[in-house]
Amino acid sequence: MFIGAIGCEPLQLRRVHLEHSRSLDVYRRNGGYEALKQVLDGMTPDAVINEVKKSALRGRGGAGFPTGMKWSFVPKDSPKARYVVCNADESEPGTFKDRYLMERDPHMLIEGMLIAAYALGARVNYIYTRGEYRYLINIMDEALDEARKANLLGEKILGTNFSCEIYTHTGAGAYICGEETALLSSLEGMRGHPRMKPPFPAVSGLYACPTVVNNVETLTAVPDIIKMGGEAYQKLGTEKSGGTKLWSVSGHVKRPGVYELPMGYDDMEKFIMEDCQGIAGGRQLKAVIPGGSSVYIMPASDILGKDVRMDYEGLVVAGSMVGSGGFMVMDGTVDVFETTKNLTEFYKHESCGWCTPCREGTDWLVKVFKRIADGEGRPEDAQLLLDICDNIEGKSFCPLGDAASWPIQSAIKKFPEDFKRHLLPLVAGAKEDAALSMV
Amino acid sequence: MADLIKVTINGNVYETEKGARLIDVCREHGHAVPSFCYYSDLALQASCRMCLVRIEKMPKLQTSCTITCTDGMIVTTESEEIEKAQRAMVEFLLANHPLDCPVCDRGGECELQEMVFDWGGLEERFSERKNYAPEKFLSPMVANDPQRCILCKRCTRVCDEWMGEDAIEAGGRGAHTVIGTYDGWLNCSECGNCIEVCPTGTLLDATYRHQARPWELAQTITTCTFCSDGCQLSLGARVGEVMRAVARDRYVDGINGEFLCIKGRFAHPFINHEERIRTPLIRYKQGGRLVPATWDDAIGYTAARMRAIGEAHGADAFGIIGSPRLTNEANYALLKFAREVIGTENFTASDAFSLAPCFENLSAPLATHRDIRFAKTIILVGGEPEELQPLTGKQIRQAVRNGGARLVIFNSVPIRLKEQAAQFIHINPGTEDAVVLALAGANDDELAAGKLGVEAKTLADVRRALDETQGDCVLLFGSELSAAAMATLAQLPQLLGAREGRRFLLHPLPFYNNSVGAHDIGLMNAKLSVAQLLDQAGQGLRALYIAGSLLPEHLRGREETLRQLDLIVVQELFETETTALADVVFPAASFAETDGTFTNNAGQVQRVRQSIPPVHQARPDWMITAALASALNADFGFQLSASAVFREIAEHIAAYEGLRYPLLKDESRPVQAKHALAGARDMTGAIQEIRARIQSMNVTSARPTETPKVGHELFKPGTLTSKTPQFPLLYAGNPKPPTVLVSPLYQITVDANLRATTVAAGD
Ligand SMILES: Cc1cc2nc3c(=O)[nH]c(=O)nc-3n(C[C@H](O)[C@H](O)[C@H](O)COP(=O)(O)O)c2cc1C
Ligand code: SF4
Ligand code: SF4
Ligand code: FES
Repeated sequence: MFIGAIGCEPLQLRRVHLEHSRSLDVYRRNGGYEALKQVLDGMTPDAVINEVKKSALRGRGGAGFPTGMKWSFVPKDSPKARYVVCNADESEPGTFKDRYLMERDPHMLIEGMLIAAYALGARVNYIYTRGEYRYLINIMDEALDEARKANLLGEKILGTNFSCEIYTHTGAGAYICGEETALLSSLEGMRGHPRMKPPFPAVSGLYACPTVVNNVETLTAVPDIIKMGGEAYQKLGTEKSGGTKLWSVSGHVKRPGVYELPMGYDDMEKFIMEDCQGIAGGRQLKAVIPGGSSVYIMPASDILGKDVRMDYEGLVVAGSMVGSGGFMVMDGTVDVFETTKNLTEFYKHESCGWCTPCREGTDWLVKVFKRIADGEGRPEDAQLLLDICDNIEGKSFCPLGDAASWPIQSAIKKFPEDFKRHLLPLVAGAKEDAALSMV
Repeated sequence: MADLIKVTINGNVYETEKGARLIDVCREHGHAVPSFCYYSDLALQASCRMCLVRIEKMPKLQTSCTITCTDGMIVTTESEEIEKAQRAMVEFLLANHPLDCPVCDRGGECELQEMVFDWGGLEERFSERKNYAPEKFLSPMVANDPQRCILCKRCTRVCDEWMGEDAIEAGGRGAHTVIGTYDGWLNCSECGNCIEVCPTGTLLDATYRHQARPWELAQTITTCTFCSDGCQLSLGARVGEVMRAVARDRYVDGINGEFLCIKGRFAHPFINHEERIRTPLIRYKQGGRLVPATWDDAIGYTAARMRAIGEAHGADAFGIIGSPRLTNEANYALLKFAREVIGTENFTASDAFSLAPCFENLSAPLATHRDIRFAKTIILVGGEPEELQPLTGKQIRQAVRNGGARLVIFNSVPIRLKEQAAQFIHINPGTEDAVVLALAGANDDELAAGKLGVEAKTLADVRRALDETQGDCVLLFGSELSAAAMATLAQLPQLLGAREGRRFLLHPLPFYNNSVGAHDIGLMNAKLSVAQLLDQAGQGLRALYIAGSLLPEHLRGREETLRQLDLIVVQELFETETTALADVVFPAASFAETDGTFTNNAGQVQRVRQSIPPVHQARPDWMITAALASALNADFGFQLSASAVFREIAEHIAAYEGLRYPLLKDESRPVQAKHALAGARDMTGAIQEIRARIQSMNVTSARPTETPKVGHELFKPGTLTSKTPQFPLLYAGNPKPPTVLVSPLYQITVDANLRATTVAAGD
């Protein structure tokens, strides 16, 4: 497994290979907490937000929302407490970058959160991890302790008037708790259900106070933005997608791993074939899901020779999304019907049950997939699947419903053969038209 | 008047108030928008996705239940796209629904059925196996068939927001989400409001389970007989038997919307109970048995005895005791009987305390339950509305939770409502009067604070809150206040003075459904309390005519003297400690068998309507009184019509002037009696009296620190409530049974071990 940067100097992954990279000592000797010092040495909160705006940093949790803009939505004059909450739920299938950042460089996250807390006027902050990341909590707690002892956390940090605390908290194993409002409900001790937006968390979040929820990778980018300046950070990437991005590469490549690429990396084919050393066993590339399970699947034909630029705009043009950067590569042995069934089972299992279309729709989808897999498919099933997806998409309470529909819609559209294979034998030859009509 | 904005719906331009909710505006103008989870006055849920509409300049379809109208908004509620989405939601909801309407208690009045008629598909595309969850009991009152659930979560919201219980919540997730309890058994106040608001047959009245189909029931809208809130309910009767009580009256909402408490909803079985007194009864000789008699005999016998006593001892040998549980008509007939037939002023009503000092000094209108819901400041002195006046309790809770009201509670007991209080002021038992003294001004703070056992600053804080209130300020008080304190509290609005933007309202918390009415009719004019009247027994008082029964606190210790009386006549539903002393007992009709009115604690005069003919030989109380009068040669002229009695009330009682039954017919627009407002009174005397009382007070007993258990009053098995077998069970602690599965399943699952595992899986 490879962990490192390609096409740029490592920023996020700068320290991960150092011995004792988790320790405060190593972090400090390698440029750690300098950004915090710089901020406390005379930057105003607005100046910090401004640098982040200039950096064109976009949220790495999946939605890609411009971080500086999100921070500026926090009302300046609210008498309420504010909170910075780090979303370390990392539950998007195919995504495993945040855990390396926390496991190997926890102080980078602490520093990022402290700067965010300073910029937003937050005194109490939380790191929310998925239940399965309990071991990371221990690492984070140790690092927080170290920081506290070094007066980098707690009262009057580094002798200034800035006081700030960070606490860790784990979920109990629900994908939906990665969705920011469900995360806040869970953090408050309630059932992990998404909440209605608006109001957005920036206005009314944790305990109905202004809250910024950011992904781990988003927050760990902040120290570098301060140190090098927003503009320089942006220039590492493209105009609208600043900086570098971590890609969690898994599947049938020879060298899976966590890759740090500059935004706008050119191009996806080169990335797969050269940087990841091509498809294992010399087989053919069949498909890529580039941004975690909730994005459209891309057939090889949309990648090979298509010069797909790896950033927010480039992937949209290519028919998919950056999402969380969970880059799943599939070779010719893969049956897309099966992978889609697998993903659909995941979404069914993780649907929180709040809203009708997602709750009942994903349950129904799985039942149809299973029936087809059991050899009980019917020619009209592909059409049925598409129609159920259409009835979920855009009608659910939170984006999970959309996320459940998109993989199916794109899989049927891009890989009709894989679906036909499961449906056709049943309809005794003649009805090929019916199965085809699904596309 | 709020700002008006323009909204275009399906091409029509409408003016509406800024901030109006889109779904409401659509419906007001006849554009039907389907919904399940939307329930005004509950937090928004936006989960059913039925109410989708298209709004220009917005991506995707939008849920109209969450959209606040803005000026120039252009909305479409009908299009192919919207209809497809809405039909899809119904299709989704039916996917795992068992479609067992023929055996479902809700069949015929189910919102899901109704929705399917309008929005259902013609063919069923879902041909997979349905998810299964076992049918079970959540409590002795609530049965649950989770498969029928559409997860609109109205139930969990009423439980939390209205009742403050949070006793039911969704468990599991995704398509396996089921509404359940925290440990498999409900230990809440058992109000059953979750059953009421459930649009489907998921939560069901366990006491009515499989008893009747809704279309067999004759529904009668009437007023509840259990507490002074006066909730409107609908009695469902089948051939002379009351089968159920619900608040869903299908057309309009009364003061309580769809709210009822456990008593209103579940305590109706007393109506057709086998222990109802069936015929008039006469005890011909002292110490003898009560022997059944015909009405003619009983009336004739009573009239003869009364005539004899009157001739021998004069009019003042009679005492007439009405009841705060009876209709105004019944109490009025008694008063008329006392004055016109007997010619005595020896009358009263068997209430626990008299509201006369409050009404004599009333200087602000009575707060309606709606006023309480939207009040800005609420001061509660004593009382425990969540147990004794549950609608008031719910309104207070919602005022705080949904309306941001500031609630200040003075109580010697940490009652449950304190969870909602901005300030819960724990006072020494018996010192409630000192609260009134402190509210009236700062002069006595030291004395008051000392006796109350609180800091003087706390009292100043409350006065400041009163001072700063913008909007309505409601003063509620329980039975703990002395007459002088009640009078002073009623004058508080005058004492504190009028201020622009602030309105004071008063809300007494009497115990009975018609306590206020009994006062209004004039039975409780404070000349003579029940105790004083009864104490004349043996000294001049020779005969008592009692409607209803005496309260235990009035009866206890007086049995012997009362036995000495020449005649005791009682009108009752059941044999009680009072009928045990009676020489003649008349079987009275219950509230379900009579027409009339009750006046609630907001002064609203509400209709009581006959749902079934009187059981056995029972008769409405006022008719019995009129018959007795007639036997004593007085014609009341009521012509067998309750409305004629009420017309006479309206002619004689100033607060009821001009009222007629037709004016009271719409329960959604309750009519408040016009209680006269007293101007500013000189309260120095009363305040001096309170001061003296407090000064001499010896505060010794410690303050209870434990919050009383839910139901300690609500579940108490009284004469009426004990006739519902579940009440004694609840009062005994509501133990969880070994199995909660409903009977058909236990018959199938005979293996106890297996049953245990299924229960665990089901929870
Ligand atoms: C179903 C669902 C799951 C999500 N899971 C995660 C997650 O595991 N981690 C994460 O950072 N963001 C997740 N998100 C995105 C968050 O809602 C939110 O956009 C993000 O935390 C914002 O941080 P950012 O602006 O730094 O990206 C999820 C969103 C949805 C709808
Ligand atoms: S789409 Fe609805 S059911 Fe699905 S996770 Fe979101 S809120 Fe829950
Ligand atoms: S039990 Fe009834 S009210 Fe509660 S969520 Fe289910 S359908 Fe809605
Ligand atoms: S009524 Fe709007 S989503 Fe249920």
